[in-house]
Amino acid sequence: MSYNVKLNVYEGPLDLLLFFIKRDEINIYDIPIAYITDEYLNYLQLMQSLNLQLAGEFILMASILIRIKVQMLLPRPETEKLEDIEDPRTELVQMLVEYQKYKEIGEQLKRLEANQSRHFPVTLTSDQRNYDPELFLGDITLIDLGLAFQQILEKLPKVEPVNLEIMKVNIRQQILFIRECLKKRSRIRFSEIAAKLTDRLEVVVTFLAILEMIKSMEINVSQKDIFGEIWITKKKTIQDNVISNA
Amino acid sequence: MLSQTHRIVLALLFGATEPLTKSQVDICLEEDIDLTQIIADLNQYLETEGLPVWIQLVAGGYRLMTRAEYEPWLSRLFQNKGKLRLSRSALETLAIIAYKQPVTKSEIDAIRGVDTSLRPLVEKNLIKITGRQEGPGRPLLYGTTNHFLEYFGLASLQDLPQVKELAEIAGEDNLQSDIVEQDATE
Repeated sequence: MSYNVKLNVYEGPLDLLLFFIKRDEINIYDIPIAYITDEYLNYLQLMQSLNLQLAGEFILMASILIRIKVQMLLPRPETEKLEDIEDPRTELVQMLVEYQKYKEIGEQLKRLEANQSRHFPVTLTSDQRNYDPELFLGDITLIDLGLAFQQILEKLPKVEPVNLEIMKVNIRQQILFIRECLKKRSRIRFSEIAAKLTDRLEVVVTFLAILEMIKSMEINVSQKDIFGEIWITKKKTIQDNVISNA
Repeated sequence: MLSQTHRIVLALLFGATEPLTKSQVDICLEEDIDLTQIIADLNQYLETEGLPVWIQLVAGGYRLMTRAEYEPWLSRLFQNKGKLRLSRSALETLAIIAYKQPVTKSEIDAIRGVDTSLRPLVEKNLIKITGRQEGPGRPLLYGTTNHFLEYFGLASLQDLPQVKELAEIAGEDNLQSDIVEQDATE
């Protein structure tokens, strides 16, 4: 058996089914499912014999057709009323009708395209002039607005990022720092140490370091009156000896 | 004979780079004019004088266009224009988007029964992303652009070709007014 088939390009399985329906003048609302399934499968076989790659959608449609065919063959339960039984073809028919509608519109668009392409707008190139923005508030979507906003942001001078370096200093470090200060002199004002520090956090950490050193009895701290100068005095301790020996 | 207003409108049409809307003309003229009538007069004038241009109502505005019979020469002036056409699948996809917008890709795929590539149409500025659909995955929504209307020579989306079923929904009033407007511009 030989086929004499003119191969068209089908946009998809629905397009192919519509081709059969049109060619054989089939009523779309009463499709002979066994016949159309055979035609469809024959076509797939032909495609395969020509080594044409079949898109997955074509295979999917084959399975849908076979399922409908089987459903049509199955005996229906007697208890069901006739009007309650849904035709297994209904969904497919709806898909075909819907697709056909847009296919037709597509064809009409094609005519419009051909028609319009014969007219050329009389216009100078747009980059020569800028419209008064008041005249142009037309075809804008939220997305355009977002893009415009992004462009503005990009044009803005770069704001120097604020460095949030958490704990640039730690207590251990500041203990060593205070020891360093106390190497040359045995007594030092807290304000002198604080003057070498650059930010508030450093001062706080240094203060904690002092408290720590008091606890380990490395230093003594004295203050004459409230809000007065805090004096830090080095104590002769074992720890100190250990460090200076090291 | 053309009035000064007629000549100003014609000058604006010569200068405009996009379809010129009524509100734009009103702002330029600083008065409210009967633009529909003036365009009709101008089109009649251009016709009587045998000039190779006419004014088309497209994408919500008026645009000065060359007449179809000069296409052979103009297509030699412009590369490809008049030769490149959209594919059938592109036209089908545009038809679905035009009628169902805003619409997601999966809705388009469901109607066509195949996987649809929307990127070429976005690149051709025929469709655009109009937002996201609320719900799972918040898929992108697509709609047609002003350029879509210009490309197909449509005055507005109401001007889209009607299939029988759609025409019934749209109602006859709509169709009637479109016909009148088209007469006025041609």
